Amino acid sequence: MNTGTNSGTNTGASTDVTIDYGHDLLFGTFVTPTNHPVHQAVEQAVVADRAGLDLVTFQDHPYVARFHDTSTLLAYAAARTERIHLSANVTNLPLRPPAVLARAIATLDLLSGGRIELGIGAGAFWDGVAGMGGPRRGPGESIEALEEAIAIIRGVWNTGESGALSVRGQHYDVRGAKRGPAPAHPVGIWVGAYKPRILRLVGRAADGWLPSIQYLQKGLPELAEMNSHIDESAHAAGREPRDIRRFLNIGGQFAAQGRGFLQGPPSQWAEELAEVALTYGTSGFILASDDTALTQTFAAEVAPAVRELVADARGTGRHE
Amino acid sequence: MVIRALQDTTRDQVSSAGTHHRLADAEPGPALERDVPLWLQGSDTAVAALAGRLADGWMVDLEEVGLEGLATLNEVLDHAATDAGRDAREVRRSVTLARGDAADISALVALVVDHGVSSLVLRVGTDDVTTLRTFLDDVAPAIREGAERALPQGALSSRPVRRADARARRRPGIAYNEVPEELAGTAVEPGDAAFGKVRSTYLRGGDPGLVLRPRTVAEVASAVGFAREHMHLPLGIRSGGHGISGRSTNDGGLVIDVGGLDDITVLDEAARLVRIGAGARWRDVARALQPHGWALSSGDYGGVGVGGLATAGGIGFLSRKHGLTIDHLRAVDMVLADGTVVRASATENTELFWAARGAGANFGVAVAFEFVVDEVDEVGWAQLAFQAPDPAAYLEAFGRVVADTPRETTPFLILGQGVAQLMAMVDSSDPGVIVSQLQPFAEIAPLVQQQVVIAPYAAVMNMFPETAHNGRGEPVSRSAFTREITPGFASASADLIRSGASHWYQIRTVGGAVADIAPDATAYTHRDANFALAVMGSNAQRLDRWFEPVRRHASGLYLSFESDRHPDRIADAFPPATLDRLRRLKAKLDPHNLFQDNFNILPAHDHTRSAT
Ligand SMILES: Cc1cc2nc3c(=O)[nH]c(=O)nc-3n(C[C@H](O)[C@H](O)[C@H](O)COP(=O)(O)OP(=O)(O)OC[C@H]3O[C@@H](n4cnc5c(N)ncnc54)[C@H](O)[C@@H]3O)c2cc1C
Repeated sequence: MNTGTNSGTNTGASTDVTIDYGHDLLFGTFVTPTNHPVHQAVEQAVVADRAGLDLVTFQDHPYVARFHDTSTLLAYAAARTERIHLSANVTNLPLRPPAVLARAIATLDLLSGGRIELGIGAGAFWDGVAGMGGPRRGPGESIEALEEAIAIIRGVWNTGESGALSVRGQHYDVRGAKRGPAPAHPVGIWVGAYKPRILRLVGRAADGWLPSIQYLQKGLPELAEMNSHIDESAHAAGREPRDIRRFLNIGGQFAAQGRGFLQGPPSQWAEELAEVALTYGTSGFILASDDTALTQTFAAEVAPAVRELVADARGTGRHE
Repeated sequence: MVIRALQDTTRDQVSSAGTHHRLADAEPGPALERDVPLWLQGSDTAVAALAGRLADGWMVDLEEVGLEGLATLNEVLDHAATDAGRDAREVRRSVTLARGDAADISALVALVVDHGVSSLVLRVGTDDVTTLRTFLDDVAPAIREGAERALPQGALSSRPVRRADARARRRPGIAYNEVPEELAGTAVEPGDAAFGKVRSTYLRGGDPGLVLRPRTVAEVASAVGFAREHMHLPLGIRSGGHGISGRSTNDGGLVIDVGGLDDITVLDEAARLVRIGAGARWRDVARALQPHGWALSSGDYGGVGVGGLATAGGIGFLSRKHGLTIDHLRAVDMVLADGTVVRASATENTELFWAARGAGANFGVAVAFEFVVDEVDEVGWAQLAFQAPDPAAYLEAFGRVVADTPRETTPFLILGQGVAQLMAMVDSSDPGVIVSQLQPFAEIAPLVQQQVVIAPYAAVMNMFPETAHNGRGEPVSRSAFTREITPGFASASADLIRSGASHWYQIRTVGGAVADIAPDATAYTHRDANFALAVMGSNAQRLDRWFEPVRRHASGLYLSFESDRHPDRIADAFPPATLDRLRRLKAKLDPHNLFQDNFNILPAHDHTRSAT
């Protein structure tokens, strides 16, 4: 699972400038939405809920037949869990019309008592998308479409505004849509993004950023560079960098002896993740896990230890 | 069209070129458990016609169209259906009633009788519980009664009406329309959504013409009756779908799948007597017994079904200590070829009780088994991997160690080119005992990996997750027993392993408690064997070239691991006296040879029949 980036070697010895946006830390899992065995993904959500994690997330690939439809799975899993928050990681926008998506999310947030978040991406695997009858968008187009979609989604949720919603975009043309329902809690819009242009969109318009460690070509240090795109764009839009929570999808295995980044005992994981949190401002760690024991150990032994390490470091004024 | 295309899991990719909705090489699926009917709603002729062409149901608001409108639209729908080559009955008619309509029962009956409406939906306010209650408790039964009186008998049926495209996939020689009413709802035909999930078994690809899925013993009897009317077609009996010798799927024939009869009940706590449905899986049995501190030895794989294994033998991880699965059997309920349900035990139908333990598949469909299970605390569970560059030497050493190993330990060995993998269960939760009994195995060859844990038996049975049954082609498997691993057996085995003709060479150890039972006590007779060999390959001829020399150093076979249908194999499975006795019983219980999907025993000729 681990990507074999060199990130394991430079933790602990950092003299670089560090960032910490001061968020409380969130821990969650990233569960494969497999439809065989049919209840496995739901059971893994229940495991994460009982283990006391903050978040359970599922990939969304509506063109893959061996996966559940993620929006339906989220609804089912929300009904089976009690306190954990749930999100797609990340919603495939091109196959989910944004106005309806906004309403679906709001509905589920109301039904679940405010436990739904909206992880969303511009789309990928365009053959799959087009195969299912969706649009085939170029990189620029897909970002443009995502920005329009975010405007529509926020517009639908914004019942404080009077009057119908109209967003006239290149990709979505919403004219006079009724607003509402408003979700039960402020649903976070978290965007999966890597390239500067979409990172700037994150800075302008999103509430969170949701990259996966395995797609960081230069390893963890790349997060710093990406953060700066988000931060600059946030400033330019009159927002604060801390308005955008930084997540990270991670993978790893527990082992008695340390063999690399997130390949070792829980105490090693905790030190490594605390280091990431303090260096790159990451405040949400989402572990790819379809394994009950992995999830439970992460919740019981890693999450509290990272929280403690980070609190200590913050207490001693480690971030500036 | 897009929806239907995505449900068609018989294809790898689906496309649909429409003006509004398109698919281009999309992945169909997931496979549905049952057909999900598609209902269209609309009060104009275009929708009615579309429903007639494509849908499974049509819904309309009675207030909107009135009775005359309903009649006209119904006619449009019927025409469109017939023009499309469909049966107009394929489309269920549903009307939405206003609240006041529920008062006039005769008008509602007329809707059913005169307009073919079979679904009535009442519009009620969210707080109007009384109207809803009366509709459910009084109105609905009255409509049903009225309609039944007015219509010819049998006109109201819960039998699914299949779409023309599904009917087109039916196979010849099967009286689909005569499937007994109680089986029709769960039966699966080739055109059904659920077919993809039931056509094949774990190791075998199949394309049966009809899969019957009875849920009760009476339904099993009725399925057997239907099968009797189809003696010209292959018949497969299926419980867990892990058959190798047992052809529990086929091409164009029938399958009776008793997977739904999977209850597990404790009958007598003190006597540890447990009743288990044939459709249960061994993983579920293990899970159900664990809280009592019990276990029943089955095999090495939790996904295997009770029905197939418990009628053949059951060589499992507790065999040396506690014997075969069949050695725990106290009674079995079976549906015989003539549809009668009998119980066989030490006191009733004793000949069948004998035959059911080793050759059960020839005599009927077992529906439930009663076993006395063992008290088994947590067990030692070892997985060891060795370097084994010299397979013959490894085998001989393994044989020597097993000979000196106490009964608590039952090892299974998988030998490959250069590596040996040993899985062993020790029926003890005492680490000292576990280690001392395993140590000699660890010394056979250099260990490359080892894991020894103390775990519940159920955890071992649940080691592998359930996987879908989508076997392709035919398994090629060979089996033999031997008392000891002689140098000849070992060297022929080594040649086989090196040849590459086999990708799976596995030895399960038996002996111990298995040998405590007399060979003629059950139809499974191989009581003196200490090793059961199972070998799998992909090409039968090639495998046989290398397996024949091994067979020469062995004797007999365990039918569950033998896929060869050569008549000689029957003789390997059953010695002459046993076979004679089985043939006589077969002549009595299944003279027309209905049950022949697994090591078929031919009925004895008439003159021997009187001998039973
Ligand atoms: C992965 C794997 C591991 C195995 N490991 C072991 C092992 O360790 N020990 C061992 O002893 N065997 C083992 N087997 C063999 C297994 O026991 C047989 O293949 C058995 O027939 C499977 O039972 P089933 O109900 O799952 O199979 P099915 O495919 O459902 O049935 C196979 C055959 O059994 C007969 N049958 C099934 N149900 C009934 C019934 N209700 N009444 C009468 N006859 C019936 C029929 O002839 C049928 O064709 C293994 C098989 C597999 C595939």
